[in-house]
Amino acid sequence: MLKRETAALLDDPWQLALISYIPLLGIIGLWLLFSAGLPRQLPVAVVDLDQSQISRALARQLQANPVTKPISYTDLSSAVDAMQQAEVYALLVFPHGFKRDLLTGKSPTIDIRYNSQFLLVGKLLSSQLQASMADGLKPLAALKQLAAGVPKAKVAVNLSPVSSQTTALFNRNNNYVGFLVPPVLIALLQLVAMMVFANSLNRELRWNTTAEWMSLGMWKGIAAKVLFYTPIVMLHGGFILALIYLYLDVPIAGSLTLLLVAQLLMLLAVWLVVLLIFFALKDSARVISFCTAMFAPAFAFMGVTFPTHEMPALAQWWREIMPSSHYIETHIAVVSYGQGWLATLPQFASYWGFLLLLIPISVLTKKGFNAVDKCNIPLAPKEH
Amino acid sequence: MSFLQLIISELKAILADKTIVLTVFGGVLFYAILYPLPYLNQVPTEQQLVVVDHDHSSLSRQLIRHADASAKIAVIAKVGSIDEAKSWIESGRAHGLLVIPADFRRDLLLGRGVTLSYGGDASYFLIYSAVAEGLISVGLDAGKSVQRLGLLAQGHGAQAAELSLNVVKLNSIPAFNPSLGYTPYVVPGLFLLILHQTLLIGTSILGASQWKETGYWQQVSPLKLVCGRMAAFMCIYTLLTSFYVGYCYYWYEVSLQASFSTVALLLLPFLLSTTAAGIAFSCLFSRRDLPTQVLLLVSMPILFVSGFVWPTALIPDSVVAISQIFPAVPGIMAMLELNQMGASWQSIMPQWLQLWAMTAVYFVLAYWGVKTRLASD
Repeated sequence: MLKRETAALLDDPWQLALISYIPLLGIIGLWLLFSAGLPRQLPVAVVDLDQSQISRALARQLQANPVTKPISYTDLSSAVDAMQQAEVYALLVFPHGFKRDLLTGKSPTIDIRYNSQFLLVGKLLSSQLQASMADGLKPLAALKQLAAGVPKAKVAVNLSPVSSQTTALFNRNNNYVGFLVPPVLIALLQLVAMMVFANSLNRELRWNTTAEWMSLGMWKGIAAKVLFYTPIVMLHGGFILALIYLYLDVPIAGSLTLLLVAQLLMLLAVWLVVLLIFFALKDSARVISFCTAMFAPAFAFMGVTFPTHEMPALAQWWREIMPSSHYIETHIAVVSYGQGWLATLPQFASYWGFLLLLIPISVLTKKGFNAVDKCNIPLAPKEH
Repeated sequence: MSFLQLIISELKAILADKTIVLTVFGGVLFYAILYPLPYLNQVPTEQQLVVVDHDHSSLSRQLIRHADASAKIAVIAKVGSIDEAKSWIESGRAHGLLVIPADFRRDLLLGRGVTLSYGGDASYFLIYSAVAEGLISVGLDAGKSVQRLGLLAQGHGAQAAELSLNVVKLNSIPAFNPSLGYTPYVVPGLFLLILHQTLLIGTSILGASQWKETGYWQQVSPLKLVCGRMAAFMCIYTLLTSFYVGYCYYWYEVSLQASFSTVALLLLPFLLSTTAAGIAFSCLFSRRDLPTQVLLLVSMPILFVSGFVWPTALIPDSVVAISQIFPAVPGIMAMLELNQMGASWQSIMPQWLQLWAMTAVYFVLAYWGVKTRLASD
């Protein structure tokens, strides 16, 4: 049976591409996309209507911040245009008379607008710009305190009696490669796995070889395909882990072997879902379309970008159907918290729902045989 | 066969093919509900936080109450040590921690500086930023109230104290997506991508299933067939696009700034170029199940490269250059600039012209491909 699968694989150029270079291209392409890792040098429009020494010093403060790259605009309207065309992601205005107001004890306003249509960039810039400005204004406030006769030792405490230390736990420098790339690649792996397996099943329909495939009995036929394709797809899963955690050296607290076992379980769950759809539909293009419709949005439901517990109940149910969202929980627990084997077992057990799929699959396969044989004759000329 | 008859037989062929109907109509309607589903609550609020209070003073308790009052944070427990807090976070029961040092109140009253420590689980960025933003504003507030007390005690007037606390006002306001919501951020770009992908898949499956068969498509010239097919798909997609851009954008509270006519004018070359690209693409296939797979694999990269998830400036230039062959990439950017960010029509001219140029190029490719396919039979 395994030999038969090998022959079938070698005969099908697309399937061969799908298990060799296509996932590699996809993995490397997606990693290249995010390879910058940390957002740096994001363009920010600065409109300095004051042109004073203080406003220029504050603008230089932005230059010193690695995240922002100030671009000077002489008037507001051209800066607004640049903002609307997404040439700059934020806009900062020093009002006319800024220095005068500061010196005369009125509190002037610095206007900051950030592009929240690009949510990720906008939020980052908002906090960075505020931090830069607050920092830039400290020396001025310190000068004022000193002038008022406050001893130098007390100035710093007077300025900020409560200072804060914010720590990003588990992903110390907020690296996007560690945060976004693993779930994106897992979503890709799941898609590839789904297609590979669906293609292999569809092939039996296309060449009208279901009888030959089932000759050793239904479950043996399926087992042959599972045994054949699981190691191949696992290789790609292993490549993803090796790329991120060995080659790129993204910190990982737990063990890679545990992640591989988790991937194996995810793949088995994917196989079960594909089998169910295949036996329910029995038409190659429709099987692919249906699987695509199911698995394409998997990334949105993983709960990495938008937290799971904030999703509506319906979304959480749908999430349970996606093998990738079960996997990603284990992944984050192992990578971030260094979760061990024992603590992972309950997570593995959460796949039990997929075993229930075996019941409809076995019902459908029993029924399916006759149906396949009957409808194959009219289908055959249409399908190749 | 007249042109009108051709369009009608195209429409019949599309509607008779269950797979195409499933992808085009089913996909578009199903995704309109499914994709934004996780994001319906818009912003993460009330993230669970554990507090390690080493001070146990009136001030530290007040600080905890203030933290709990913040919309972004919910204090769920007080624990004895940082290790214990860590295990709460690791088991997923909490997402952040706040450490109040010993002698917090005493030091503040004596005029010594104190440091509050915050931590958030940065495995999830949105949770982390909610926790950090919430706690920082609580910390700043606590600092200010202590400062104000000190100034008042030294005999400053209330107004002067206020002024010396806020030397400069920072007026930081989000532009374009004022609620910072997640659906207004994701939906406009994503929905255009769904239209783009289903349109490509629909045209490709139709082509792939026809090349080796005989039918009405062999009775007309390739030029006429391409035009007829584009017209048929434009009929269907004008409806579907109107549903997405007209109704779903409104339903999902996307900010809308452009007028109907400018949006329509932008979408015209977007749909035309995508249809032409789909027909050209369909000439590469003779198996009906392949186009879906190829297009599925490229959809995630297109989404990330289109520039609203991850800034284009940070993507390697070569990747950006390659991505320009997909009509969705200039299409999404132009739509966001025009409709969500309120740019003028002139400023999206480059993308608009690029879409027209793509229409021309893909039309020629489609013509050439169909001609070769039909001739080889």
